[in-house]
Amino acid sequence: MASAPIAPYNSSPLGNSSSQNASRESLKMEPLADVAVLPGEERVIDKDIIYICPFNAAVKGKVSITNYRLYFKNTDSETPVTLNVPLGVISRVEKMGGATSRGENSYGLEITCKDMRNLRFALKQEGHSRRDIFEILFKYAFPLSHGMQLFAFLSQEKYEENGWNVYEPMEEYRRQGLPNSEWRVTFINKNYELCDTYPTILVVPYKATEEDLRRVSTFRSRCRIPVLSWFHKENHAVIMRCSQPLVGMSGKRNKDDERYLDLIREANGTIKLTIYDARPNVNAVANKATGGGYEGDDAYQNAELVFLDIHNIHVMRESLKKLKDIVYPNVEESHWLSSLESTHWLEHIKLVLSGAIQVADKVSSGSSVVVHCSDGWDRTAQLTSLAMLMLDSYYRTLRGFQVLLEKEWISFGHKFASRIGHGDKNHADQDRSPIFLQFIDCVWQMTKQFPTAFEFNERLLVVILDHLYSCRFGTFLYNCESARESNNVRMKTVSLWSLINSDTSLYINPFYTPESSRVLYPVASMRHLELWVTYYIRWNPRIQHQQQSPVEQRYKELLALRDQYLKKLEELQLSDSAPSSTHLTNSSTPNAATANQHITHLQTPF
Amino acid sequence: MMFSNKQTKPTFKSYLPPLQTDSNKSPQLPIKKLEAKLLPGEIVVNEANFVKKCISTESCQDDLWGKLVCTNFKVSFITHNSLPRQKFQCTHRLLGEHDIPLACVEQVVTVNDIKGKQKILGSNQKLKFNPTELILYCKDFRIIRFRFDEAGPESAKKVCLAIAHYSHPADPQLLFGFEYVGKRYHGSTGETVNGVDPGGGLQTPLFDCSSDWDREIKRTGASEWRVCTINQGYFISPSLPEFFVVPVSLADQDLKQYACCFYSQRIPLWCWNHSSGSALVRMSNISDPLQQRKVEQRISSAIIKSHPLRSDVFKSDLDKNLPNIQDIQAALLKLRQICVIEPFEESEEKWLSSLESSRWMEYVRTFLRHAVDVVYMLESRHVSVILLEKEDRDLSCVISCLVQLMCDPHCRSLHGFQGLIQKEWVMAGHRFLDRCNHLKKSDKEESPLFLLFLDCVWQLWNQYPAAFEFTEVYLTVLGDSMWVPVFSTFLFNCPRQRAEHSRDFASSKSIHLGQDQALRFPPVWDWSQQFSLKDQTLFNNPLYVGKIATCVQNGTVKTFTHRRSKKNYSSTLRGVPSALRNGSLGPNDTLTRRNSLILRLRSDLSQVREQQETPSERFIRDWFSRPVDLQGLLLPQLLPSHLSVWKLYFLRWVPEAQIPQGGPITAFHKLSVLTDEIEMLQNQLRQYKGAGCTPNNQHMEHSKMYFKVTLTPHQSPAPPEYLSSSFPFSPVGNLCRPGITGTPLSKFLSGAKIWLSTETLANETI
Repeated sequence: MASAPIAPYNSSPLGNSSSQNASRESLKMEPLADVAVLPGEERVIDKDIIYICPFNAAVKGKVSITNYRLYFKNTDSETPVTLNVPLGVISRVEKMGGATSRGENSYGLEITCKDMRNLRFALKQEGHSRRDIFEILFKYAFPLSHGMQLFAFLSQEKYEENGWNVYEPMEEYRRQGLPNSEWRVTFINKNYELCDTYPTILVVPYKATEEDLRRVSTFRSRCRIPVLSWFHKENHAVIMRCSQPLVGMSGKRNKDDERYLDLIREANGTIKLTIYDARPNVNAVANKATGGGYEGDDAYQNAELVFLDIHNIHVMRESLKKLKDIVYPNVEESHWLSSLESTHWLEHIKLVLSGAIQVADKVSSGSSVVVHCSDGWDRTAQLTSLAMLMLDSYYRTLRGFQVLLEKEWISFGHKFASRIGHGDKNHADQDRSPIFLQFIDCVWQMTKQFPTAFEFNERLLVVILDHLYSCRFGTFLYNCESARESNNVRMKTVSLWSLINSDTSLYINPFYTPESSRVLYPVASMRHLELWVTYYIRWNPRIQHQQQSPVEQRYKELLALRDQYLKKLEELQLSDSAPSSTHLTNSSTPNAATANQHITHLQTPF
Repeated sequence: MMFSNKQTKPTFKSYLPPLQTDSNKSPQLPIKKLEAKLLPGEIVVNEANFVKKCISTESCQDDLWGKLVCTNFKVSFITHNSLPRQKFQCTHRLLGEHDIPLACVEQVVTVNDIKGKQKILGSNQKLKFNPTELILYCKDFRIIRFRFDEAGPESAKKVCLAIAHYSHPADPQLLFGFEYVGKRYHGSTGETVNGVDPGGGLQTPLFDCSSDWDREIKRTGASEWRVCTINQGYFISPSLPEFFVVPVSLADQDLKQYACCFYSQRIPLWCWNHSSGSALVRMSNISDPLQQRKVEQRISSAIIKSHPLRSDVFKSDLDKNLPNIQDIQAALLKLRQICVIEPFEESEEKWLSSLESSRWMEYVRTFLRHAVDVVYMLESRHVSVILLEKEDRDLSCVISCLVQLMCDPHCRSLHGFQGLIQKEWVMAGHRFLDRCNHLKKSDKEESPLFLLFLDCVWQLWNQYPAAFEFTEVYLTVLGDSMWVPVFSTFLFNCPRQRAEHSRDFASSKSIHLGQDQALRFPPVWDWSQQFSLKDQTLFNNPLYVGKIATCVQNGTVKTFTHRRSKKNYSSTLRGVPSALRNGSLGPNDTLTRRNSLILRLRSDLSQVREQQETPSERFIRDWFSRPVDLQGLLLPQLLPSHLSVWKLYFLRWVPEAQIPQGGPITAFHKLSVLTDEIEMLQNQLRQYKGAGCTPNNQHMEHSKMYFKVTLTPHQSPAPPEYLSSSFPFSPVGNLCRPGITGTPLSKFLSGAKIWLSTETLANETI
């Protein structure tokens, strides 16, 4: 009795997913010759070229550049070598060698990417052969520097789901139990008049008047006043976020700001409001010179100030650069651990995580907290969002995580455009920094320590990072909500969540076990923090690239097997309607791959 | 000072539920009832009442009151208080909750905090002060602390001296196993000793009889190899087993003649045959330089003759390529230092570089890499390999096992793995007695080779968890069992030593061994000695595809071998260039074309990997470009970025490193429950097929899984609260470092002194 082929394993989307470099979106693309293009993607140039692979050798092939990507395919051997790089990933394009350079393949292009790799191409030396491709690449990789549009505005992609509907601020605040007798929603910023980098809807202490808010805004850097990020339903403690107070060298005070913070404290009867200043103490002091500073003891008597020692964007940028040096193209072998240590990358991760742990710990013990750094859009976003992830299991779901990113990062003005440098040729811009990557790394660390606590898997995190740079979606474009609004991002571009939510099965962690009330405290220790090798070292061909962890994959297989057995039992029970084991007729769980095959013959392996 | 660590540690106290303190903290306890639970042959040597066991690092509030007892087997602490927050514990059948086998005690440190004195106690020593405190440093990385504030000063001193004395047995026969096993001969009429019938009833071959070897020869298809019996009675070599395997072309007479040329008369031993016919052989150095060439040639040609293709022999010199036993011991001491001695928070900043400077991970990698090189020879070059080591009793054990684990899926099953250790460690004469330093006689001989091997296995396991029938808990418990001195596995340097000591002991105790060669020490593989059947299910890996997959494969579900999708390999050349595929694999053939390209690129192209890929590198790369067959060859990823610290083993006792309700165990829990449910469904389906509708509850008893499906299946239960990254171990009551009247203990016991040199420290004080 031969059985039908068991499809759930083979047909699982994971089975036919593309390889490391071929981007995942190729699943959705229609093939055009050897390049599969997105709707709205147009080919600009094709050229014979030599790809100088750092791992093997020079590979002869053809490169195609579209308004979205660089695509390379080799022509010199049966073994396929392909590159599929969204142009948004490129941070720098340089000419390598000159027309008179000696040596084979010394003349060409070098491309530095934002995602931990570099690419080199060589061309024929005669006839300025690289001129056209260099100019085209330069133009299309940095469209904003050339008066052109980012690909997100040209894309014609359509999805079943509209990701722009994922985050509705009012809905999210209502979910948290707001507004209530202590906290109110204000529309004072509906035209971005109070603060142009904040969203329109803000939650503030019930007792604070609109006039109070305006006065407080004069004393906070960029008018980013303390507003509510999260509300603890049981103990009513809150996480507030803001920018630094404008204390300055002279040690200015502002009665309104002081009273405002006291209103926050009073809302749930917190005895001492804890202000977490994400910066190292010395940095906070140094900021006084430029008009900033921190809340002094004498001015804010009912508050205690804690510095969290997290370094600024420049330190993080340099740290990642060092990390890239030891992982690409080759992994530093002889002194791996001390080299890793000297990048300080994990140490920064540790500081961010342990800062967030302190915030979460304080809030769950019933005390309200205020979190700020200098402008309140980098370290502050890291801390509030991580603390919220620890405190609120909703944010650990696939949908909730999207809401968290939309809320704490996108709507509250993390400067994605400046930090990533979308479409901008100025690769050395001091505003660039991997703050968001660092946050995602922290999330990954948490998922490693709590493998059953998150509904989404590692793959989601990687896809988010890939599209942080790709400029295919509007989600991470621009610095703040007001800029996105004036550029009509919601109307003119597709949201990354449209892609994700149209096929969520790819991003579901099969081990997920919902636990609504549990606060997650990761261990922020070097003993447990690991380098995220599947992200940072994914371009190395010597490393096996598993789409999924083997444990995760195996679990999914077992779930499918379980469902097959259940189905089979159900059939048997129906056929002889034996009443003995009716409790087994429950239908399968939703997160199992659906087994729709009938099994007519069963092995009994045990 | 960019990264000052101030303020980084949150107040963990506030969210870990406060340790529940019993109101009953006074020493007024019903002392009479505090009796040590003794095993057959175990006697109480000394004891002290009103002793406090320190539980918490932060305060002495949670300390337990009880009696400290020293027996000839263990240090026992008996208390009526139960450990707080200890809802789960794997109950050990030979050891109570607070017991430490004397063999596990590495160092006995006595402290008088008032006088500021301390002393490391050895055997037969004097103590000139009354100890207020006793700290036991254990071989398994635990640190246990007792206080004698309320105990009688004399009895405190006596119990400390007793512990120190009895943890340094003067003779192997003083190891508890002898009394324990010997006791059972008196009055025991049946075949079982302490509930075991060694060998029989066990599915693990012990390789102490020729039939086990015969089966191994058949299993691996080594038809040109035979079992040799010339060492029966250990007349040829003192360190070889009585039965071993040699090429058929070598006659007993020849072997006897060659034996004297080898170190300790160790005739080369066959380990295993690759399916291609290549053999893995281990060999000691030839001590007679005059005979060396001749004997080597004879041996080699015999091995070549035993190869179906008459392939050549490759000699792999382990002494030259691997760290020696002292290096490995030094690495473990440093690792222990950074894992459990140094204050947690202060060592955070330098954790990675300290880890590197311990060199433990480097050694793990070196051994794995060397094993891969050997695998390449067997697998790709189809030649036989001789593992060459001076005495052939240390490094060879590790390498031969790793090679077999990578090549032979049988070795990744539980019994296959146990048989492998039996074959390559116990029978091959690894000096467990010396390497464990059970007699604490010579620190120079002590070396954690077996632990290093377990760590290497763990790395493989960690990279391919579904390929092994066992779990990391199994590997950890196996490592711990070295310190329970009753198992034949870890007590002796070689089978002959076991036989001799058995005979001596038997005659001194008038035990009639009958037909037995040796006392029937249970092998560690008789896990029922230590754990209940239920607890043993913690060893079963729910991911293991071995059995399930093969069964399902011939039926319906064919996709259980993990197939990676056909990949479109980008930025890499897939597979071996055709030019090389058919060509020879000499080390010199590289692609000249590629070479010229690279060398002429301008200097900043140094990123381009310039070194020439060796054939073995190519073999590895080729293997990695194919889908993994969990039932086939497994190669570890060797990049240092892809090897991890074995946290369960090394960090399980560190309270700060524990992830409450987290760690890989939480995923394991779900897997276990699911696998259990599948088993249950299969049982039900089987009942349908068998037409019998007998409702049975057999499932619960027969389940292989530790965590069982609940009565409401399909609702994934939350992980039990007692799960933590240390599960099934608990750091509660370990490493209670700070505390003595203002001086953190770590300060005055700090540095490399602890665990490094007993003498220096002892001389320094007192």
